Amino acid sequence: MAIKLVGAQIYDPMHQIDGKKMDIGIDQEKICDADSLTPDCESIDISDCFVMAGAIDLHTHIGGGKVNIARTMMIEDHQAHSHHGDHQCRSGSGHAVPSTFTAGYRYAEMGYTAGFEPAVLPVNARQAHMEMADTPMIDKGGYVLLGNDDFLLQMMRDGASQSAINDYVAWVLNASQCIGIKVVNAGGVHAFKFNQRRLDVDEVSTASGVTPRQIVNVLSRAVYELGVTHPLHVHASNLGVPGNFETTIATMGAAEGVPIHLTHIQFHSYGTEGDMKFSSAACEIAEAINKNKNVTADVGQIMFGQTVTTSGDTMMQYYGHEHGSPKKWTVMDIECEMGCGVVPFRYRDKSFVNALQWSIGLEIFLQVNDPWRVFLTTDHPNGAPFTSYPHLIKLLMNRSFRNDHLSNLHPEAQRMSNLSSMDREYSLYEIAIMTRSAPAKILGLADQGHLAIGATANITVYRKQDDIEKMFAQPAYVFKNGTLIVKDGKIVETVRGVTHVVKPEYDKSIEKSLGTYFDKFQTISLDNFKISNDEMEECIGSRVVEHPCTKP
Amino acid sequence: MQFKHITCPQCGLLCDDLDVSVDDQDVTLNSNSSPVCQQFFVDARLTAKSALQPQIKGKPCTLDEAVAYAAKLHAASKQSVISGLIADVQACRSAFALAEKTHSVIDHANGQSMRASTAVMQRYGEVRTTLAEARNRADCIILFGAAILEKFPRLRSRILQPKETLSGDTERKIIVVDVVENTDLANDEDIDFFHLPLASLEIAIQQLQYLASPCASTETDIDPSIRLIHQHILASNYSVLTWTATLFAKNTAEQTLQNLTFFIKETMKTKRCVGLPLSGSRGEITANQVSTWQTGFPLPVAFSSGAPEHNPVIYDAETMLKNSEADLLTWISTYSSDDTPKQYANANIVIGHPNMKCDQTVDVFFPVGIPGIDQRGLACRTDAVATLPLHSIRKNDLPSADHVLNLIFQAL
Repeated sequence: MAIKLVGAQIYDPMHQIDGKKMDIGIDQEKICDADSLTPDCESIDISDCFVMAGAIDLHTHIGGGKVNIARTMMIEDHQAHSHHGDHQCRSGSGHAVPSTFTAGYRYAEMGYTAGFEPAVLPVNARQAHMEMADTPMIDKGGYVLLGNDDFLLQMMRDGASQSAINDYVAWVLNASQCIGIKVVNAGGVHAFKFNQRRLDVDEVSTASGVTPRQIVNVLSRAVYELGVTHPLHVHASNLGVPGNFETTIATMGAAEGVPIHLTHIQFHSYGTEGDMKFSSAACEIAEAINKNKNVTADVGQIMFGQTVTTSGDTMMQYYGHEHGSPKKWTVMDIECEMGCGVVPFRYRDKSFVNALQWSIGLEIFLQVNDPWRVFLTTDHPNGAPFTSYPHLIKLLMNRSFRNDHLSNLHPEAQRMSNLSSMDREYSLYEIAIMTRSAPAKILGLADQGHLAIGATANITVYRKQDDIEKMFAQPAYVFKNGTLIVKDGKIVETVRGVTHVVKPEYDKSIEKSLGTYFDKFQTISLDNFKISNDEMEECIGSRVVEHPCTKP
Repeated sequence: MQFKHITCPQCGLLCDDLDVSVDDQDVTLNSNSSPVCQQFFVDARLTAKSALQPQIKGKPCTLDEAVAYAAKLHAASKQSVISGLIADVQACRSAFALAEKTHSVIDHANGQSMRASTAVMQRYGEVRTTLAEARNRADCIILFGAAILEKFPRLRSRILQPKETLSGDTERKIIVVDVVENTDLANDEDIDFFHLPLASLEIAIQQLQYLASPCASTETDIDPSIRLIHQHILASNYSVLTWTATLFAKNTAEQTLQNLTFFIKETMKTKRCVGLPLSGSRGEITANQVSTWQTGFPLPVAFSSGAPEHNPVIYDAETMLKNSEADLLTWISTYSSDDTPKQYANANIVIGHPNMKCDQTVDVFFPVGIPGIDQRGLACRTDAVATLPLHSIRKNDLPSADHVLNLIFQAL
């Protein structure tokens, strides 16, 4: 039945609508002209609410082998947070790194309707997609990992043309059913397999003979030239190392003006000032983002408490494992493609480093001028579980709340932070940009992230209240593809979601050299490596929705 | 019909380079593969003796009748166990849905041999590698137990001794360590076979771990071969330690895997050294992966309270059945006709290979299609990273295990 949401206060930045009162119509899966609906449609009075499109998390680790390793290692967390199923929902467990069904429910309860796994290994893509297929309620997609794989590094060493590299990148996107390309510590994960323990952006890896800058350069260009909407998604070198902000700025430069997305940039914004030789370089990073219009970033805010870090960056996970809590860690070299590292972490507000990390993330949010180019993430679960987003939104929207929290942190961290001097408070319109419109735009999801007629009816309705955190934690209504799935913060209907992909064109002759590579060195045949659309639907369990690529 | 790039799910390596021909219900492996692979395809041939129809207490019946009977058994059960799980991802997914609905305990046929590895991962984490990394990167591979080569027959040609590697260097030291003699390996020019005068492999690993520990002393009585192996590891750029937990005694396996983990992590401080545990010959990696992502817990999992619980002692399926703590067993086994239950309950449902000969205690038998022969499916490899497609290459009316489990679920 068609539905009319009456009297809504709308925040739709894609169409510059900032709090205007309007009605919204829903017909089947789409938003329709509310005035065209007949009087017998279901009418819901939401005059005490405001409305945004369904939220989109563009960086959340919700599927793949590393997530399952994290679940296994976080046994205490899962035992402490297990829940029953009911007639609608399956049971599950976990707070920091929840089981798949649980993750889907928790996202939907907060008004999210899509989440994107940012680290899909090509060889592990089937598992990542299976886990995401078993994550209900939201749409999914993945960024496939390149830049530490022997095939690309060999191409670069052999002087392959940009066009040949583009073909390979396009082939991997097609074969792995992903929507973007991610690079993690470019060349560093590969170098770690040869016992190299650090690799800076302009350092030639003794293992591959190329620099991280070169890798970021060819991959960012490939993504751009193939017409993939989402820019190269970059986890820069030297994560977590004091002084790494210079590496981060150099990495931005590696793109040479083509679009580039720096992910969990908080972890890459550290200076070496002060007695502890650890300081905030948020100002320098924000300035670089403000200046370079080709650059976007998500923050990777940390929150205090127990979580677990899961990353493809074996080099830096190994580097950081001694700071982990509880004391257990896993690193894994994977299939001449990549690696992964899993280290539990407890961020403490009385720790100088952790307190400053918290502050640095917020300083970046508040100093990047354009909310279309900075995204709200905690790098789930690395900085904190995604369920902390409502709290993070409150920190951004309420200066006194933010400063109250700051005043309870490690005193030296307070002294080293500029946060208390920052007056900015995010508006609802800006929150809508960074959690809806901008992610949809940067991912190329043309029919999501906005509320225009014809858009997919992914709609979140929040009941106005003074407590911003509570408001964003428990929407009054959430619609997914036109179906009411959440009412007053509770699941009322379960849906599956789809997988968003791109399939750029490429010269099929790349399969000749790939076939030889697979036959000689790999342990899976080329034919079995590729995932078809019908395998996605029939075996993996998720329907594929393809988005166009537009070459520049 | 001829098929190429067919996957064999009969061991954890999931070799997918097989040529298979199909003539009606006859399947023939054409590739020069291992006896383990051969057995899978020989076993898959359907003959007049194969069961193509469900049975209630040994008598043929319709699928609907069998489903209704199975549902009745579930409805009457006070505590059921779903086990076996020798199946593809889709069947495992459906088994978990049924387990949750029926408040069952769910475990794998190889559950007990998985426990040690899970416990070490939960307490310490691990340092691991995968098959292609070992194949291309290793310059020293140490196998703990000659039997690994029998359990994983193509490990040698596919991983240990590849014709080419990415570095171009195929020279590597391959060491097999064992406490029993093996004349074949002792005379093998490509392998350094270390026959250790020790009581067990576990002691050999314990001694190796001691050598890497910060308190190691040159005075301690360590077997000279172990010292030599340690020197080889330290002289290597990428050493791979390989084991399969089933070769270790059950009561000491956890300690042994812990020793291996400690050794590797200590060695990692200066060198690259990694583990390559091998398992998955009965689909346990697949079942455990599905369990972990769907419930948040590795196997075994109990849904007795409604919420998933993991307790490897209380919810060990084999022990529960032995102690009559469960009154209903649902056994799922689709790869091999030999994989029948070790322990039965009062009432038993078997969803099994069409050539399986069921015990008379089985109340309902559902012969189902074999994943990789009759049905498409997905299976997870020993390294828990690669998932391989299992192809449908034969046509018949056998339902999939997934379909049968769904029908029972819907009938409840």
